Amino acid sequence: MNLIEELTYRELQQQTRRHFLKQCANGLGAIALGSLLGCGANSSTGQQKVLEDLVNKVPHFAPKAKRIIYLHMAGAPSQLELFDYKPDLSKLDGKDCPPSLLEGKKFAFIQGIPKMLGPQAEFKERGDSGMVVSDLLPHFSSMVDDVTLIKTMHTDEFNHAPAQLLLHTGSPRLGRPSMGSWVTYGLGSENENLPGYIVLVSGGNTPDAGKSVWGSGFLPSVYQGVQCRSEGDPVLYVGNPSGMSAKLRKQTIDAINGVNEKEYKTMGDPEILTRISQYEMAFKMQASVPEVMDIKDEPDYIHEMYGTSPGKTSFANNCLLARRLLEKGVRFVQLFDWGWDTHGVSERESLEVGLRNKCQQVDRPMAALVKDLKQRGLLDETLVVWGGEFGRTPMQENRGGRVWPFKGRDHHTEAFPVWMAGGGVKGGFTLGETDEIGYYPVKDRVHVHDLQATILHLMGYDHEKFTYFAQGRDFRLTDVSGKVIHKIIA
Amino acid sequence: MNPKVTYINPWRKPIIAAVSLLVFFAVIGILRVLPVEDKHHVLPESLLGPAVDFNADIRPIINKKCIACHGGVKKSGGLSFLFEEEALAVNESGKRAIVPGNTWKSELLSRITHHDPEFRMPLDADPLSNEEVKLFRRWINQGAPWKDHWAYIAPKAQEEPKVESEWVSNDIDKFVLQQLEEKGLPPNPRADKYTLIRRVSLDLTGLPPSISQVKAFVEDQSPNAFEKVVDDLLASPAYGERWAAMWMDLARYADSKGYEADRPRSIWKYRDWLIKAFNENIPFDQFVTEQLAGDLLPKPKDEHFIATAFHRNTMNNDEGGTDNEEFRNAALIDRVNTTWTVLQGTTMECVQCHSHPYDPIRHEDFFKSMAFFNQSADADIPSEAPVLKDFEEEEDLAALERIQDWVRGHCGGNAEHNPRYYEDLIRITEPKLHPHYFEQMDKGIAIPGTAVFKVSDSVYSRKKEVPFMGENRMMLRYQADTSIGVMQIRVDAKDGELIGSFPVKKRTKTVYDKKEKKDKTYTIRETISVPVKQVYGNRDLYLVLEGAEKSHTECFIEWVAFHQALPGEGQKGYDKVEKDFYELFNSDKKKSTTPIMVDLKDGYRRKTHVFEKGNWMVLGDVVKPGVPDKWNAFKPDWERDRLGLAQWIFSTKNPLTARVTVNRFWEQLFGLGIVETLEDFGSQGFAPTHPELLDWLALRFMHQHKWDVKSLLKEIVMSSTYQQASIMREDHREVDPRNQWLARGPRVRLTAEQVRDQALAVSGLLSRKMYGPSVMPEQPEGIWQVVYSGEFNWATSQGEDRHRRAIYTFWRRTSPYPSFISFDSPSREFCLPRRIATNTPLQALVTLNDPVYLEAAQALARRVLKDEDSPGLEQRIRRMYSFALLRGIQEEKMEDLTKLFHETQVYFRNDPEAICQFTGEDNEELAIWTVMANAIMNLDEFIMKG
Repeated sequence: MNLIEELTYRELQQQTRRHFLKQCANGLGAIALGSLLGCGANSSTGQQKVLEDLVNKVPHFAPKAKRIIYLHMAGAPSQLELFDYKPDLSKLDGKDCPPSLLEGKKFAFIQGIPKMLGPQAEFKERGDSGMVVSDLLPHFSSMVDDVTLIKTMHTDEFNHAPAQLLLHTGSPRLGRPSMGSWVTYGLGSENENLPGYIVLVSGGNTPDAGKSVWGSGFLPSVYQGVQCRSEGDPVLYVGNPSGMSAKLRKQTIDAINGVNEKEYKTMGDPEILTRISQYEMAFKMQASVPEVMDIKDEPDYIHEMYGTSPGKTSFANNCLLARRLLEKGVRFVQLFDWGWDTHGVSERESLEVGLRNKCQQVDRPMAALVKDLKQRGLLDETLVVWGGEFGRTPMQENRGGRVWPFKGRDHHTEAFPVWMAGGGVKGGFTLGETDEIGYYPVKDRVHVHDLQATILHLMGYDHEKFTYFAQGRDFRLTDVSGKVIHKIIA
Repeated sequence: MNPKVTYINPWRKPIIAAVSLLVFFAVIGILRVLPVEDKHHVLPESLLGPAVDFNADIRPIINKKCIACHGGVKKSGGLSFLFEEEALAVNESGKRAIVPGNTWKSELLSRITHHDPEFRMPLDADPLSNEEVKLFRRWINQGAPWKDHWAYIAPKAQEEPKVESEWVSNDIDKFVLQQLEEKGLPPNPRADKYTLIRRVSLDLTGLPPSISQVKAFVEDQSPNAFEKVVDDLLASPAYGERWAAMWMDLARYADSKGYEADRPRSIWKYRDWLIKAFNENIPFDQFVTEQLAGDLLPKPKDEHFIATAFHRNTMNNDEGGTDNEEFRNAALIDRVNTTWTVLQGTTMECVQCHSHPYDPIRHEDFFKSMAFFNQSADADIPSEAPVLKDFEEEEDLAALERIQDWVRGHCGGNAEHNPRYYEDLIRITEPKLHPHYFEQMDKGIAIPGTAVFKVSDSVYSRKKEVPFMGENRMMLRYQADTSIGVMQIRVDAKDGELIGSFPVKKRTKTVYDKKEKKDKTYTIRETISVPVKQVYGNRDLYLVLEGAEKSHTECFIEWVAFHQALPGEGQKGYDKVEKDFYELFNSDKKKSTTPIMVDLKDGYRRKTHVFEKGNWMVLGDVVKPGVPDKWNAFKPDWERDRLGLAQWIFSTKNPLTARVTVNRFWEQLFGLGIVETLEDFGSQGFAPTHPELLDWLALRFMHQHKWDVKSLLKEIVMSSTYQQASIMREDHREVDPRNQWLARGPRVRLTAEQVRDQALAVSGLLSRKMYGPSVMPEQPEGIWQVVYSGEFNWATSQGEDRHRRAIYTFWRRTSPYPSFISFDSPSREFCLPRRIATNTPLQALVTLNDPVYLEAAQALARRVLKDEDSPGLEQRIRRMYSFALLRGIQEEKMEDLTKLFHETQVYFRNDPEAICQFTGEDNEELAIWTVMANAIMNLDEFIMKG
């Protein structure tokens, strides 16, 4: 048997070999494990065909979306200044909050009886669909006809970390796989030179829940999100040490693999062949990751459109990177932008200044991303999702019972917006209504698990059947609930 | 005439014979299937067909096809197959699914064979196969004998198999060889000595052997040469570090508290305790008992308290607005899950919300287990109390000594308030009343305290039902923003009986601010103790501030505790002792603290309720500490506390403790457990590959080794099974690709810790300094870019602390050391019973490019260049390979490495500037040999234990 055949043999073995695969109803983990990070590199053999066949068989039904970009605004943007226009709330501005809204509720910081706070932005109807969006998002307002807006999301958690975990892993506690891990576990990657699940962070901090929001939980660690950075090594340790050229690195890896082949001949352990292919993959990543992460070669009009400046860490750069990664076949790109926690206790955290600044930072690039995907014909099969981990109260925050110099709102679990574009969702469609002050949904309430069920549905998975056996039982992203929101599907 | 008697030989008449036979078999047939209950008690076994084994034949069908609807979660139609009594009971339909002996009355049989798919079971699925139906029928006919899952039956004494072979070194080999012979797989021969010593050294100490150790072993021709090596390794201090590393995954050890803020936690003394405990080879039962209940041992010493930090490694949520009781419960649940996972291989987490879907554990069993842990005084507060204070400066230690001397001389033989009482009061200070136990009464609205609670001119605070026991002092830690006002301590009501008071005092501290270059003054907290009138029984406590109307004084209180005053008040020398006492609570002198377990005393104890459907806010029945019925009984003379739980766990009748433990050590050596699912011995886990060996080892570990871990490990590594060559033959690949049957030695990837330690060891960089606070070796910039980092930064350690063993690396849960994560180490948020080794390109990038590994490569290069015995190219390559791998290089591998040498030489000759960039100095040889070392330290054989 030659090496290539051996590798194929090894791949086939993996399907029966690993304990976790036994449990995988669709047998897909085997493929994902191999191909996610590039065992499928030997496309000259029949193996690639086998992989493709299996990959194509994988979802439960035909997917509408093949890739996802999830834009998470960590800290939770205020829906009442962006998407949920409540003229009645202006009338209540400065008045005491009615006790009925406070009974049995828990807030992170509000104490006693707070005052109501009217919308701090102007709203208009936009596009042909007449979707109502505030002036803080002018670029977004120009593309509403490509967007489904859900105004009535709700969650169970009122603190950032658990709410972020619930949104991305289906559980407020640590230890579950993230949505991106589930998707790459299910669908593998379309690129052999890049990880299938990439995370980009802006705003100066990783999200409150830390790296667990892109962790693989009990899924094998190969499915965890790989954080790419705009400064320093884009992927940790992807850069050669200074003074070592790519050529010398290749020669080193050739020597390593040469010795490993001989070791394989002696020891006969197929794991050695995997290591050989992983070193080849590592070398390819060394070239492909910096290349895809380098946005200098983008034309000026693209930089203009996104508002990007190469070499910096910014949400705009990350949006452009997301598109580039997607074009290279990365399955799930997750952006986190930190700094949306507008409590009003400082200028940066205020609705008057902080929120406006954040909107300026994201409005143009996120609109550009959708438009750019559309003009490249990628939007149909790419799902773009935007949102925070919860919403904000119609009351002014009064932390410590004090009046604060800036306007701000506390955490609110009952109503928050998410918008989606492409990937099989309707354009120019608004789902759900909240009450006259934006406190409770009155129509089409959508739980976080429903959103997850819908995303999986668009990716071709029945969320109830997409399970993984761990810790003595089957787990799924949506835990024990979740309903697909069919109303938003085109 | 004599009537002619005709004897008719029936066998001559074929018809009669046939009829008789028919009748005979018909009778047997009828008897066999006769729908008579309990007929199996009457009929001989031979009439009932080949015996059906419940565990082997029936349970797998039930678990696969029935239990999802008829188990611990759903009991469709009132039927569950989890417990025998449930399976045999009358269901909602009024019928019984299984009537032993009676196939007609057994509803199960009629439902699995029903012609109408609406009635046929399993619903909406393929019907059972004919064979499965027949099995059920035969089993019911045989009286439906039920058997517990193997893991809940205590291990049985096993006779060593009679196998004759020179290959056998000890009894373990007999069990293994017997299986191999059945499978037709001959074992591998013994590994060569070089491979063997590297393997056993990495396994027992986590480090490769030194060259001199290898040399000594290779030259030692005595028959017990290997045993000497094993004994040396078991006695090496590195042994404790290696096994502590394993245990730290189970204990979810980390240097931070977890959750959003993930602030640092000082708990490294527990890590040091583990290392020492392994090195001193404390018997495993004692080792675990001290961790579960060291504080409850008679006269516990410091190390017993430190051991209990095992269960203080649960996470602590410091985030604002979180409910401390919610996260105290989360920690409690984690303690239950961890205990059951680590010691019983049982997935107790399933039972939080409902009965176990597959195993015989009921919903309330979870809370009975929880009741053992529910009396611990910890309460998810930022200080993590209770902590054990260790004074580190002479002055403080002397003060503590003086106080104890004083008490000894003045307590007048008071048994309760003895020197130990005062030592615990000073070093542990429990039970404390925490801020969230208090209600701050603000204009009639009761607001629970958070990290502190407030008492001011307009706000008073109360704690309902404080169990007073006649204490004559109240201690509190507080700060005040003025020194105006008197704090009144009252009971029963805001204007109830005054039991004490003190004038509030603003205490400040001035420090020089380096940034602003000036002195800055801060208000700080102070711990004081004030006399109170003795009261008894549950009374409401009120703290009210008087005389601060004008100043609007605000006091913030962190905790309150009631205690007994120091004896001998008014006597000569008392003032000095009281000052010492005060100083120990308030001095800035260096001390360390470690979170520990301390149980609440009477009056403060909690009730444990079932959480309905797992929701901690919906409380069900009150439960007492207890264990599931299927396990060994909880003896009446054991206390129903954590110590009693430990006694129950280490009862020789416990079916799982010894099995789970030997299996874990086995897995560490072979890469695969005898039960592969270390975390689950239940019916959803894997069956043991060598059940007899597992039981034999378990019993031996308990009875012969007396829970002695070193002897257990020695016995395993002394087996021929362990010492086999790890070469994978063609037949291995076909019959046993994963090495379940052990016809070859283990070939396993090194753990994250070992990958680092080995690189540092062979390059000569490794520091062998042991113990102490965790260190911060080099890590890339920006890894700790997390919320609330504040002043809590990665400050790269200096000197030898850069090169300590991996076990000493600072472990932050939300952002663990990146290269460890690449090599599959967990984040340590929860107990991880088994690491699954992956093989990814990100690992290659770590060992190729991480500066830590480049530094090691360069150090190895220097080591080779310094070596005067090997001046030539070829010798140097050989030398470098041997430094790293501790054996000679195969000739054909020389080609690849020689080629790399020449390519590297050409590269640096063409680009001499690269030399300095690469090595930091102008030394071509060093640059080339660093590349060579980098290659060798990335070889598969280097990353693997062969």
